Amino acid sequence: MAEKTNYKNEKQNSFSAIKLVDVSFSYGTDEEEADSSKEKEKALDGVSFEIMQGEYIAILGHNGSGKSTMAKLISALEVPTEGDIYILGNNTKGEENFSEIRKNTAIVFQNPDNQIVGATIEEDVAFGPENLGIPNPELRQRVDESLKRVGLYELKEREAARLSGGQKQKLAIAGALAMHPKILILDEATSMLDPKARDEFLELVERLTKENHLTLITITHDMNEAMRADRIFVLDTGKICLEGKPEDIFEDEKRIVGLGLELPHHIKLANDIARATGIEPNKECFADIQSTVQYIKETVKKANIKNVLTESHEKHQKNGNILTAENLVYSYDNRKAPVLNGVSFDVEEGEMLALIGKSGCGKTTLISHLNAVMKATSGVVKVNTRDGKVLKTNNKKDIKHIRENVGLVFQYPEYQLFEETVYKDIEFGLKKQGKNEEERKKIIENTVKLVGLKPKILNKSPFELSGGQKRRVAIAGVLAMEPRILVLDEPAAGLDPKSKNDMFLIIDNLKRHGVTIIIVSHNMDDVIRFSDRVLILSDGKTLEAKDTSVSFADCELLNRLGIKRPVLHSLLDMIIEPKDKETQQRIAGVRDYDDAVELILKEAAKV
Amino acid sequence: MSGEISLGRYVEGDSPLHKLDPRIKIVMFFLYMVVVFTVSVPQVMAMLALCLMLQIIVARLPLKVIGTSITPVLPVAVFIFILNAVTNKKGDVVFSRWIITITDIGLKNATITAIRLILMIVSTSIFLTLTTTPLKISEALESLLAPLKLIKFPVHELSMMMSIALRFIPTLIEETDKIMKAQVSRGADYDTGSIVNRIKGYTTILIPLLISSFKRADELAIAMDARCYHGGEGRTKLNPLKLTMKDILIGLFMLLCAVALLVLNNIWK
Repeated sequence: MAEKTNYKNEKQNSFSAIKLVDVSFSYGTDEEEADSSKEKEKALDGVSFEIMQGEYIAILGHNGSGKSTMAKLISALEVPTEGDIYILGNNTKGEENFSEIRKNTAIVFQNPDNQIVGATIEEDVAFGPENLGIPNPELRQRVDESLKRVGLYELKEREAARLSGGQKQKLAIAGALAMHPKILILDEATSMLDPKARDEFLELVERLTKENHLTLITITHDMNEAMRADRIFVLDTGKICLEGKPEDIFEDEKRIVGLGLELPHHIKLANDIARATGIEPNKECFADIQSTVQYIKETVKKANIKNVLTESHEKHQKNGNILTAENLVYSYDNRKAPVLNGVSFDVEEGEMLALIGKSGCGKTTLISHLNAVMKATSGVVKVNTRDGKVLKTNNKKDIKHIRENVGLVFQYPEYQLFEETVYKDIEFGLKKQGKNEEERKKIIENTVKLVGLKPKILNKSPFELSGGQKRRVAIAGVLAMEPRILVLDEPAAGLDPKSKNDMFLIIDNLKRHGVTIIIVSHNMDDVIRFSDRVLILSDGKTLEAKDTSVSFADCELLNRLGIKRPVLHSLLDMIIEPKDKETQQRIAGVRDYDDAVELILKEAAKV
Repeated sequence: MSGEISLGRYVEGDSPLHKLDPRIKIVMFFLYMVVVFTVSVPQVMAMLALCLMLQIIVARLPLKVIGTSITPVLPVAVFIFILNAVTNKKGDVVFSRWIITITDIGLKNATITAIRLILMIVSTSIFLTLTTTPLKISEALESLLAPLKLIKFPVHELSMMMSIALRFIPTLIEETDKIMKAQVSRGADYDTGSIVNRIKGYTTILIPLLISSFKRADELAIAMDARCYHGGEGRTKLNPLKLTMKDILIGLFMLLCAVALLVLNNIWK
């Protein structure tokens, strides 16, 4: 909280960093380029606001609400169709101001790969200052200093393309800092990072912006990230529909959900507790996690809890194994330690198994073995068919059948679309299976329904769909082959909260239809909510797959393996402060907010 | 994996040849090309080969790597040898059957041509591919071609394009691999079937790859704009190419060797 009060004190002597006056913008004003349907749609529509130097602003909104357009307008990459934008007093309309504005506003974009220009790390950092014409030795000094500040100095001569995602985004920050900007914009810069890398990245950015007294604007889908800001703007159809401090913005749950967003974990929990107890929170409770925890503790003490409804979860029934991996070993290079070093596990029919582990531990490599798109150095994956046969990945004749049984959806599957229409794209696998036209049609129509899309989408080109729709089409393309096991690698990565939630409902629905699901995820809150068992991959080996609640009870192990605990469990720890093992296990068994509320009330009733 | 692919088969090292200014290397490369294609006296050719051997030793290049760069051209060298031997009708006949006649001069010329081809590959490897990173070559070309800017030739733009292309090769290789696996998971098959079908199959990789490349290009252009890129004018460089005395001396020495070879060739012809 200290920072926020600080900001208020400083505001009087602060100056205007960004000022928008009645700004509207629409894409494709060149008539030839314009897509007829989008021509008149305004990406931004009459937006006005002012941001003071040193403020920390979060911009929220569902996909297509105009957030990224805003970033481009502020850094003078686009010029408003109507209205004016002043960056540090310069109007972005004046072409002579472009370089001054761009010099002062640095952006970090979403995709780490598509913003690296230099082949080596130091050359990429130098790219901006080189364009500004900064001569040596100042240039060298700026590059070295920026790299030191983000912690990449030791690697400066390495090839930039070989860095991890988190390191690439740090490199982008270093490139931005080297230009000595006044305003830093993060355009969904954390959306492709795993939770650990994300936290690290945000902490770094916040420290650097404070040290340099920068204005920070973060465009994000992550509500917990937005909570860190001084002020939040919420965009919807090109207009600012909400503006204020985080605790004010998230006060109205219905409104937030209606805008395609969600509440940060702690506020959602507090709201649910309020509903269960009938004691309304005041919004100061929402300002940070500590106050919320305090509020919940006090509320449950005050509330007169009689009987708590107990809703038991449908326990996953033990079925036979559908897939078995035996001693899988795989290495990219004989000289290096193998990525997989003796991985064995079973998958039960009808379950949802979550595969978790640190970034880069080989999860994608492992799932690529399940349908033999990658061939193990040694070891085998066996798939049990319905009619009692056993298919083996090391038997060439079986591979085709294994791929029919095991559907694999990689991360960001939308890149695999290639046909003119959605129909044809989904049809691709079916044709390869040799199904006749009538069968194909029936299956395609069914599959599209399963992934929650309307039939009319079938005749559209996959490339004119929204990001969430594309992803569903790609999943449908795998699903159409009617696999008995569906393997999904981060199916919700990069989606906005609503699309993400929809995605998990679709997957849950598939499971209800009897499809066995194996899901790779970094988001532990999703894992506890949906998976039956958890398989942990670490140092090339898997630990024995255990029930989700059992896996998450071992906090020490999770910590050691670098896996972040579910936020919901950490919140419950703070509220309940478990003293015995039993309570700890109960917390680990919590899957969603309803469970959490139930547990909090039960524990309160005990006292 | 892509992490293991070394572009243009650059061999890391810090020998004098690695450190030599890439502009000098390019000039020397052209000079030695001229030498390779001018000398015809066997003794001088042997000296040239010796000269190249020396350079290999100085650059500490493993012979295996040199070998692997020669192997792919061996069939071509053999083909050229045969073609030369068969078509030359001058000189004394050493072998004759059916329509094939081989003369001593024909044999000599064929040998010289084949050896020239191999020397050319070796010398390209030494000067350029094995000791110079592609990026350095691109920088050197920008610097060497700078005078062309006077006639409005887009030297900087070309060099920028080249270095960005080089930068994106690992990314695109990774992406190709990803797309391929995804399509194989959907039943695509790139290893069996008729050649036509296989080529057709590759559209399932090429189209997504093209589309994503366009998207990447678009995003990269915006990112470059955001970082104040406005062409080569007024740009500075973090690591500008600098000619040192040592570079000049090595260059002069190589020049002398080349001239000596040419002179000897003329004398002994």
